[in-house]
Amino acid sequence: MSGAAIPVALRVPREDRAGAIAYFARRNPRMIIGGALVLMWIFLALFAPVVAPYDPIKVNVSDSLIPPNWTHLLGTDDLGRDVLSRVIWGSRVSLFVGVISVSIGFLFGVSLGLAAGYLGGAFDLLAMRVIDALLAFPALVLAIAITSALGPQIQNAMIAIGIVAIPAYARLTRGQVLAVRAREFIVAARTIGCSPLRIVAWHIFPNVINALVVQATLATAFAILAEAALSFLGLGPQPPYPSWGQDINYSQRYLPNLKWWMSVGPGVAIFTAVFAFNFLGDALRDALDPRLRRSA
Amino acid sequence: MIRYILRRLLLMIPVAFLVTVGVFVLVRLSPADPVLAFSGEERDPAALAAMREEFGLNQPLPVQYVAWVSHLLQGDLGRSFQTKQRVLEAIVERLPATAELGAAALLISVTLALIVGIASAIKRNSFVDIAASSVTLAGISFPSFFLAIVLILLFAYVIPGHLFPPGGYTPATQDLGDNLRRLVLPAVTLATGSLAVNLRQVRSSLLDVFGHDYMRTARAKGLRERTVIARHALKNALIPVVTLIGIQIGAIIEGAFITETIFFWPGIGRLAVTAIPSGDYPVVQGVVLVSAFSFMITTLLVDLLYAWLDPRISYETAAA
Repeated sequence: MSGAAIPVALRVPREDRAGAIAYFARRNPRMIIGGALVLMWIFLALFAPVVAPYDPIKVNVSDSLIPPNWTHLLGTDDLGRDVLSRVIWGSRVSLFVGVISVSIGFLFGVSLGLAAGYLGGAFDLLAMRVIDALLAFPALVLAIAITSALGPQIQNAMIAIGIVAIPAYARLTRGQVLAVRAREFIVAARTIGCSPLRIVAWHIFPNVINALVVQATLATAFAILAEAALSFLGLGPQPPYPSWGQDINYSQRYLPNLKWWMSVGPGVAIFTAVFAFNFLGDALRDALDPRLRRSA
Repeated sequence: MIRYILRRLLLMIPVAFLVTVGVFVLVRLSPADPVLAFSGEERDPAALAAMREEFGLNQPLPVQYVAWVSHLLQGDLGRSFQTKQRVLEAIVERLPATAELGAAALLISVTLALIVGIASAIKRNSFVDIAASSVTLAGISFPSFFLAIVLILLFAYVIPGHLFPPGGYTPATQDLGDNLRRLVLPAVTLATGSLAVNLRQVRSSLLDVFGHDYMRTARAKGLRERTVIARHALKNALIPVVTLIGIQIGAIIEGAFITETIFFWPGIGRLAVTAIPSGDYPVVQGVVLVSAFSFMITTLLVDLLYAWLDPRISYETAAA
């Protein structure tokens, strides 16, 4: 569409646009802070080869255990590898696992929730018992059990965290579908002969997506934390590839020698990444949930 | 009430069945051959085949499952591939250490959550409230293993006097003082995650209760603020907190896997984690199963307690 097609009344003067952004930022500081931190980690993960000052796996024993300085901002580990570079490259693993496992949870959980909520009856009963069984396991214990059974590899960690995320999506979606399916526009769609698949995909799904976006953001925070925990236990990516949890585990042996910088970099990275997604998720929930918006 | 309990117990049966199927499938998914793992140095094909038959591994999977469940019902979780010890025995041996750590963590978490949560709800938007909100958010996002490392670094190595040891366990029966000294850091680590959730719940429950008519009535009657809060607000606000504390049992179990590993605490979490690299699946399977059933039973008990505490909850509705 060309610019001329936009009605003149819709054009917002530049200073008004800046004012609107400033107003939005004042009203939603958590969304701005959380969003900025999320964008920063995404940027670092995407451009790690350019941003990271050194090769994260190149051993350089002559530079081992150097405390933070201007050459190595977060210091080096016992093999002389730059901690900052490992933190930046490690973000790729964490965000990649986060995105893939949340997608697995989203795909299976939402499909199951939509089908259970819309179809009801025996399918709903069976699906919810399966979800109850998944919920019977403490989440991280289940992830540990799945990864240890499948083998300590990054793709298995993703599958494990994805499976653990399924129940939250399924329950949330089912609840939302139950609330929506009796409404007039669904009855109308059914009356005019829409197929169940069309009703679910075109009429129900768009009405439950807000809650799912919030859940996806919060689930990414959990996925990053779970991946770090699995890596810490040796069930994630294997050395020498950088991973935040694994690097913290590795740094433990140097604690008595007070080589604190080896664990601080990855620890702060996990904290800021999880914090960012939690913060953004909370802000999105407040913004997208009309009940919370009214009470604010 | 009895009907409700029976109904809940009946609903648990299919879930328990699915949990056992899940754990059984998980172990069968594993690429390791249990016979090879159990036989150690033995590589004679005839001996291995005999062992396979003895374990029933030559049977079809459904038959194996039924045999496994029948052993399970008799309390037989199999034997460790490494130590040849009975898994149930190994779990029971380590349970007191996990229970001690979990109880200490829960005590710290609940006590602090109540004190700070009440203060921050009463003095909304004050410094205490803002500090409590920040702690909540940080606590949820802070990885427990990183917190453990920071605590070890500070209290075991940096701060003069080395207040607390970096790890290890002494039974309370042997030396109570040393037991408590070694308990502090792992308990604080384990408590932090659940403290954040409990604090948030205490604060929001109290704020919710403050808006109710009976609070206004209590104040209008001329009751002292302390009485209004203790007898009217807290009593009602703590009901959802009870539920949450029950749910925290799950968080404590999963937290124990990490915390016990870092602090060399000889509980069931560490038992499972040390069994993972060596492919000692009966141990992992046993611990996972015990964790899941403990979590299920706690959730049931909490639901019953919740229904008992809050007379507004109809058992019929709650069961539906």
